[in-house]
Amino acid sequence: MDLLDLFDAVQSVADGLLFGSTYALLGIGFTLIFGVMHKINLSYAAASIGAAYGSLLLLSGFTAPAIIVFMAAALCGGVIGALVYFIGFKFIPVANPLATLMSTVGLLLLIDEIIVHTTEGVPLAYPALYSDVVVRLGPFMLRGDLMFVFLLGCACMVLFLLLLYRTRLGIATRAVSQQPIASQLCGISILQVNVLTFVVTGMLGGIAGAMSGAAIGMLSPLLAQPLTVKGLIVTVIGGLGSIPGAIIAGLIVGGLESLFQFLRGVTERDLYIMMLLFAFLVFRPGGIFAKAAGRD
Amino acid sequence: MRIVSIAAAALLAGLMTGLSGGALAQERTVKISGFGAKSGVVRVFGVNSEAAMKAAAEEINKAGGVTLGDGTKAKFSVAFLDDRCNAEEGISVIRRIASTDAFVAVGPTCSNVAESLFGILQKKAGDASDSGLQFPVFADVAAKGGLAAISEWAFRNVPSELEMYKSLFAWLKREHPNLKTIYGGVEKDFAHSNATYGVMKKQAEENGFQVLGTGEWLLNDTTFSTQVREMRRANPEIVAISAHPFTTCGVLREMDRQGVKPKLLIGLTSSSSIETLQGCAKQAEGIIIPTSFAPVTPEAKAAAENVSKQGGSMDLHSAAAYEIMFILKDVIESQKIMAKPDTVQADRNKMRQGLAALKETKGLLGTVGRTNDREAIKPYLYVHAKDGSWQVLHKPSS
Repeated sequence: MDLLDLFDAVQSVADGLLFGSTYALLGIGFTLIFGVMHKINLSYAAASIGAAYGSLLLLSGFTAPAIIVFMAAALCGGVIGALVYFIGFKFIPVANPLATLMSTVGLLLLIDEIIVHTTEGVPLAYPALYSDVVVRLGPFMLRGDLMFVFLLGCACMVLFLLLLYRTRLGIATRAVSQQPIASQLCGISILQVNVLTFVVTGMLGGIAGAMSGAAIGMLSPLLAQPLTVKGLIVTVIGGLGSIPGAIIAGLIVGGLESLFQFLRGVTERDLYIMMLLFAFLVFRPGGIFAKAAGRD
Repeated sequence: MRIVSIAAAALLAGLMTGLSGGALAQERTVKISGFGAKSGVVRVFGVNSEAAMKAAAEEINKAGGVTLGDGTKAKFSVAFLDDRCNAEEGISVIRRIASTDAFVAVGPTCSNVAESLFGILQKKAGDASDSGLQFPVFADVAAKGGLAAISEWAFRNVPSELEMYKSLFAWLKREHPNLKTIYGGVEKDFAHSNATYGVMKKQAEENGFQVLGTGEWLLNDTTFSTQVREMRRANPEIVAISAHPFTTCGVLREMDRQGVKPKLLIGLTSSSSIETLQGCAKQAEGIIIPTSFAPVTPEAKAAAENVSKQGGSMDLHSAAAYEIMFILKDVIESQKIMAKPDTVQADRNKMRQGLAALKETKGLLGTVGRTNDREAIKPYLYVHAKDGSWQVLHKPSS
């Protein structure tokens, strides 16, 4: 590998890390729902893309600045999150985890088809902030829009951690997650906590969907499936229920995906990410930050 | 008196029933079944094909409809089924259509579906040892080269990408003799893009261009920085992208960011659509694409308007579906197809023979030649993206 190749490899990792922040945002959503309800919401990434589409629909009559579009995506994400809870979780027996898994698979397909039927599957341009900005550091180049996505992602993660550890809602959420019956006895409404969890993670998903659209410059129903897979991989590698794990895993997956693409090409890239997933499942099933007891 | 009144009323009712039955007999309907992708990310192709078929049917019906073998006039109606761009669904759909009175079907959208379902048709017509389906299928969109050769019951009205890119690269060599190097980009996991890239690369090399390398990506990829960095290092004079609008736009945006500015851009036939302009008009400015449809003749303009009224948009694929309806009308009339429940298989045979016998058909851009292996030789032109719209750059035949 000559120096030029080395520069390209470093650049690939940097690009992947920046884009990985969108995976991290999705991973947080997956992991939080699992942490609170001990169930996986497979429709999360599709709902996130749906929220980004919703923001375009909501503001279709106006020429809104990108930041307003992102806020609208968060709003739509919250609404879709609540709908996902009521349709896919509320009335499904708690005792049967497979039933909710299947209902969220159904919702994934439903949301995807709603997007396809509304837009005829045609990709739509999505606004981005700082898309014309390119920061050059010697031989390296950092995209302004991806840096914004990365910083916004970091800000969302901090806000989310504050919400979880510094507010009554966060305390209630963690209480329901750890001791649902005791929480009920203490007067916490499980329904309320569940709905709020879906709304908040939905808003986060809306931002993740908007950031994905902004990073690519377009929205397409094609995004739902790969983002679902990446979100799940991030959740597993980060450790189901671990928010710091999801953040780090998102960045790792983004960086490695880009590096493998550079080293081995597009046809092998996903193979290595899947091998990484299997390696974690076998050797570290509790994820990056698993406690010693959780490891084999 | 009362009995006479009842008898008169009964007679009148009988006469009216007879009259309306006669009227019905005079206004028969021939249902043409279309099929293609109407769900998933390629839904727009199915929507456009359906709209084009309906627009053509409406036009034919307005002009009096189609004359059947027994001399009666019939109106066309169109039913369109969704195969979800999935081979098994496609086979299931064609079996469903073949179980009705239909004597021909128009579709499918995707080459992988066409390849599989042409495989279940009888390979050689009249071969008693082959129990394959004896049902004519006329493809409008599935673009992979040479598919109709699979079965004598398979026909296509699809432009030959080989001819189009052969002509384009020869023209580029003549018009831009100073351009020598080319870099390719291909959506590796999509049959049409992949096959067409093979055509582009071969034609580029045969015309003396040096292919410096190929960037590969997948249909649903979201980042293209690695591929474009390699492209930048190669510093090509021409970049040829064989990909659909979503990733074409992703690559063009990344090229813009990384300052890759080739002297010429070439795109995939399917990208000469409104989606590319909606997604990245600025970055796509100047991209040259060969296409078999552009609203440049009065017929083509009128057809595009009619398709738009039906909720679709006219492009090279839906134009093929539009033309097919007129071809079917001509074959029904020339082969004296009866379109009756008791003549179904005979009608299918007549339709196959009629289509196979065609030497040329009328297309929206001019006369379309037919080959012995049931493919079309369609007129084409080169368009380029200019000021946010597709404009004709060159007409090879002129």
